[in-house]
Amino acid sequence: MIRRVGYHVAMGLVSFLWVAPILWVIVISFRSFDDVAANGLGSLPHSFTFSTYKSAWEDADEFRALINSLLVTIPAVLLSLGLASVAAYGLARYSIPFRRTILLLMLMGNLLPPQILLIPISRFVELIGYYDTLIALIAVHVGFGLGFYTFVLHGFMRDLPREIQEAATIDGAGPGKIYSAVILPLTRPALAALGALSFTWIFNDLLWSITVIRSGEKMPVTPALLGLQGLFVSSWNVIAAGTVIAAVPTVAVFLRFQKHFVGGLAIGAVK
Amino acid sequence: MTGLAMPLSDRRTFLKGLGVLGAATLVPGCATSSKSPGSGSAPTGQVALQSNLSSEQAKAAMEKLVAAYNKTGGSQVKLNTVASEIFRTQLPTYLTSANPPDVYTWYAGSVADSYAKKDLLLDVSSVWDSMGNYSKAMQTLSTSSAGQKIFVPTSYYWWGMFYRKSNFAKWGVTPPKTWDEFVAVCKTIQGKGIPPIGIGLGDTPWVASAWFDYLNIRINGAPFHRQLLAGQGNFTDPKVKAVFTKWREVLPYFDPKGKSFPFQEATSALLAGKTGMFLIGTFFADSAPKDALDDIDFFQFPIIDPAVPVAEEAPTDGYFASKKVQDVDGVKKFLSWLATAEAQEIYVQNSSGTAIPANPDGKSADTPLVQKGKAMIEGAAEITQFFNRDSSDALQPTADAALTKFLDKPDQIDKILKDWQAAAEKVFKA
Repeated sequence: MIRRVGYHVAMGLVSFLWVAPILWVIVISFRSFDDVAANGLGSLPHSFTFSTYKSAWEDADEFRALINSLLVTIPAVLLSLGLASVAAYGLARYSIPFRRTILLLMLMGNLLPPQILLIPISRFVELIGYYDTLIALIAVHVGFGLGFYTFVLHGFMRDLPREIQEAATIDGAGPGKIYSAVILPLTRPALAALGALSFTWIFNDLLWSITVIRSGEKMPVTPALLGLQGLFVSSWNVIAAGTVIAAVPTVAVFLRFQKHFVGGLAIGAVK
Repeated sequence: MTGLAMPLSDRRTFLKGLGVLGAATLVPGCATSSKSPGSGSAPTGQVALQSNLSSEQAKAAMEKLVAAYNKTGGSQVKLNTVASEIFRTQLPTYLTSANPPDVYTWYAGSVADSYAKKDLLLDVSSVWDSMGNYSKAMQTLSTSSAGQKIFVPTSYYWWGMFYRKSNFAKWGVTPPKTWDEFVAVCKTIQGKGIPPIGIGLGDTPWVASAWFDYLNIRINGAPFHRQLLAGQGNFTDPKVKAVFTKWREVLPYFDPKGKSFPFQEATSALLAGKTGMFLIGTFFADSAPKDALDDIDFFQFPIIDPAVPVAEEAPTDGYFASKKVQDVDGVKKFLSWLATAEAQEIYVQNSSGTAIPANPDGKSADTPLVQKGKAMIEGAAEITQFFNRDSSDALQPTADAALTKFLDKPDQIDKILKDWQAAAEKVFKA
């Protein structure tokens, strides 16, 4: 009994420690600028206002930034998972020569720190004439995600029973039909988990957006949040409000796909 | 505190890395001019203005400024505002790209010159033909080491020792003029149990450079300061050590908490009466509640050696243009317009109002504070800007490291200066 109470108290404290910064940001987002300026960021709130949300939404143009983010994130997730599942299907279900090498090669790209590719990517995107377009950003995200997604899906598809595919072959299904009618439906748990993960990764990206995009009105939400910071002085309350707004889509995706998130972590853990 | 500070510092270090990469694009080998097909046709009558003025008020002021120009006819200007932090790290990339934006907001002096040295900036000497009334100091700041005009200054601000009038009255002190008076004021304020000198170095360590700059130009004079920052001096020079000896006299009066919070929090501390004075640039006023602004005043950094000609720090902002601009006439026309008193008044009136037009005919805000600041700068025999602007963005971190260490361990000054010199040499050789 005492142990259980002690456990809950201790875990409650740990959870509070973890949630505290988020709560703190939410509290700041409802404080007025004069309150923050006069009493400091760390003090207890002396004011309550919704105007921070209004200025984040309107002055910082967060609405447009969110649209940009979704315009990038949704196609990038669909495209990278689509391509990765086709690649994984081929590599996992057919004895393609050098398939181990291909897979390792794809994974190798993920082991490189992305920072060293910043300049080559920015120059290359410029060379092909797609600098400062959302298409470039989608392409970059697809390219970077592909290796890892293929690797994970490959592991998952490889473990699907061989007999199912054989039965489908006997029934006269070709590789395309087997992929779309048999393998893909069976891979759904893995796809959902990866979809949820990749959504948050792409949505929260800052590095690539500022590398390939130059115009303020094309910036996704993460650089737009950075734009709320002034040269010297920043309205932390508005930034906090903007952050809360920007977190809504990822939180929504998380709540919707909550169980896949946990499932996603265990993919490939048990062979 | 840590909640927000942690991801922030992560972002900082990350952006710093990005900045290094951005700088790397300046290395000739990397700066291959990639030609983008399909963008070959010259944009007719459009000037792209890349602005780092991303704070709410400044952004709005820029929009008004551009709208006013576009009404005058000629090439239409398209304003593109990006976050200042992104702008800072991406500027080298912008300038070296195949199809760069035309005009940029940036700083005068050696920072602009560092890009001119790499042949990335447009020669705007012809724009200066209509700028005869600008001061000699402005001209010097806008001239590259190759002797070309590469910069159009539009506004400047000043640094000073800011305080709350009501608090000074309460403590019974008056603004000091000399170093001895200053130390006496510090003693009095400390006697009331208040840390006399506020500072904010967490996340904004560059604020300490203001103290170094001012002590150096007060003790050794502006020419020595400039030479030192240009790499022609030596940080182990006894004259530099004298700066720190003087600094140690007032070190006990610094707010001990100042190392942990950024300058914006230090401003809050000053306004709340938790510190007495604060050496800072006028931009801090943007972070003050409006009702406190009337109570704010400043005094000139105390005179230490009356024999040294008085110099003040006045960082100058303005514009430069990329060498690759296509609509050269349109860009020059726009820059000429930006140099007019009319344009600068539009900006000053709509921004936070502490900036002073660079054009001597431009009217600054009519508040006593701004008038006093303007008079101080105009009365100065010499003008410096700020550590990074008088040297380079690469030298600033060496100063941050040295000065932060000095504030922590003033006894080790000899070693600190030796390390600083070594770090600076690396920067100058690069």
